[in-house]
Amino acid sequence: MRNAMAAEWTKLWSVRSTWWCLAAGVVATVLGALTLGGAQATEAMREGLAGVRIVATEPVVSAMAFAHYAVITLAMLAVTSEYASGSIRGTLQAVPIRGRVLAAKALVVAPAMFAAGVLSGAVAALVTYAVLASPVFGGLTVFPIGEVVADLLRLGLFCALMAAVTVGVSVAVRASAGSLTLMFMLTMGLPLMLVMTGVQVALEVSLRMPLFAGLAFMESTDNMTGGPIPYSPAEGLAWLVAWAVLALAAGQVVLRRRDA
Amino acid sequence: MILLDRLTKRFGDRTAVDDLSLELKPGTVTGFLGPNGAGKSTAMRMILGLDRPTAGRALVGGRPYHELEHPLRTVGALLDARAVHPARSGRAHLLALARSNGIPKARVARVLELSGLGAAAGKRAGTLSLGMSQRLGIAGALLGDPEVLMFDEPVNGLDPDGVRWVRGLMRSLAGEGRTVFVSSHLMSEMQLTADHLVVIGKGRLIADAPLEQVLANPSVLIRSPHAGELAARLAAEGVVVERRGENELIATGASIERIGDLAHDAGVRLHELSPRAASLEQAYHELTAGSVEYGASKEGAR
Repeated sequence: MRNAMAAEWTKLWSVRSTWWCLAAGVVATVLGALTLGGAQATEAMREGLAGVRIVATEPVVSAMAFAHYAVITLAMLAVTSEYASGSIRGTLQAVPIRGRVLAAKALVVAPAMFAAGVLSGAVAALVTYAVLASPVFGGLTVFPIGEVVADLLRLGLFCALMAAVTVGVSVAVRASAGSLTLMFMLTMGLPLMLVMTGVQVALEVSLRMPLFAGLAFMESTDNMTGGPIPYSPAEGLAWLVAWAVLALAAGQVVLRRRDA
Repeated sequence: MILLDRLTKRFGDRTAVDDLSLELKPGTVTGFLGPNGAGKSTAMRMILGLDRPTAGRALVGGRPYHELEHPLRTVGALLDARAVHPARSGRAHLLALARSNGIPKARVARVLELSGLGAAAGKRAGTLSLGMSQRLGIAGALLGDPEVLMFDEPVNGLDPDGVRWVRGLMRSLAGEGRTVFVSSHLMSEMQLTADHLVVIGKGRLIADAPLEQVLANPSVLIRSPHAGELAARLAAEGVVVERRGENELIATGASIERIGDLAHDAGVRLHELSPRAASLEQAYHELTAGSVEYGASKEGAR
């Protein structure tokens, strides 16, 4: 298993697409956080809400609802590029136990994405604080170190679990276009359609799909549902873990059954 | 070293590999021949555990491939030289493979040197020529210093120097006591490198014999105004006959003397009776000529 993980590690960092995805993720997180944080601060100033305080990581969490597509793309490419090039056959020749290949990929990509989530979140939080703490934006943005660190860790965990979901889905689907479409449907497409039905049951279901579950876990205040997700962060984490397990199990079934 | 035991693979209602039993021995280069779509690649993929057999089994050193702890140290294979991430350098590709099987990093430099990839090792694999990709693929096969080597069309895209190199490499690998299994559609290439031949057609085994035996299979060209009559007579005597044209027959499985005698006995006039130079190309075409002749030719080749 350690050997298989070492191989996956080497493969992950020896292609440029990994670095491009990381760079895109950092840029999207920083710009997203600045924009959403700026909007939040100006709105608070206009409405004169006394005592409002915006933790620097709050807009970062909101931005991650979009920026996490960089994580999804990276995790997807770690799998689908092997099928596109045919190098999956070389991978399976080297590690013929299929479950081991899947586990090695997930165990390399997910922790890497944890680190990426924490680091890009930290950069975004620092930039947001540096810009929005100024009196121009009412000085409402604060940087309480304990809360910030807790938020960053949760951002990292969110990215890691999203990466795990993506690895599972991509192994099951194999092709880039299909995997990305399915991931988009799971994270945005389906939940938004369900919300639009206006039916209570559909809404409840949509709130438990991977992205909203993640936002609940990160205690997002500002998202596509129009407000905080109405259940506990612990439940959000549980749902997201459940999605990751489900996706990886689906990947495992396909990987074991189908010829490479 | 490699044992195929009634190996069968069906894709839907198409049978790619049909009840194939073989044993590959160490110290020899076994050539794997067959027309396109004969099932050569599918058979190789099943040996490597990439495709699951519909029936039968493939064993490497007595064990199924997936039970090998460090498979690259037992079996090195080149199936498709282009199957490398196009943006990854050849060196990184080999390094990842090496790590997956606990092979020391120094070995990567060694096989790069052996394969003559040189400075191209640092280039992105997608920018390599087909010949360079083949060298990278062969480097990958040699990485684990394995006892078994399998190559699917290894000389594809190689320049004459490269072809000579592959030829020498396979001979020397077999000389070191390794099992070498190589598929090719280049008959002339097999004639130069293989000790033993396995010929399949439509997934079925046609011949499994030493090279000399396949080449020694006598083949005689006959021209006669009564070709039809003679063909029937020869067939009745157990000679394999192929009708080439109005007046032409190719007979295998009997000596030129015997055919002359049989023609004489039948009172058939002959315009030509000549031995055909033994070449693998010819032997191969006769072996795979048509499904009707499979059974008979198989006997002849053994």
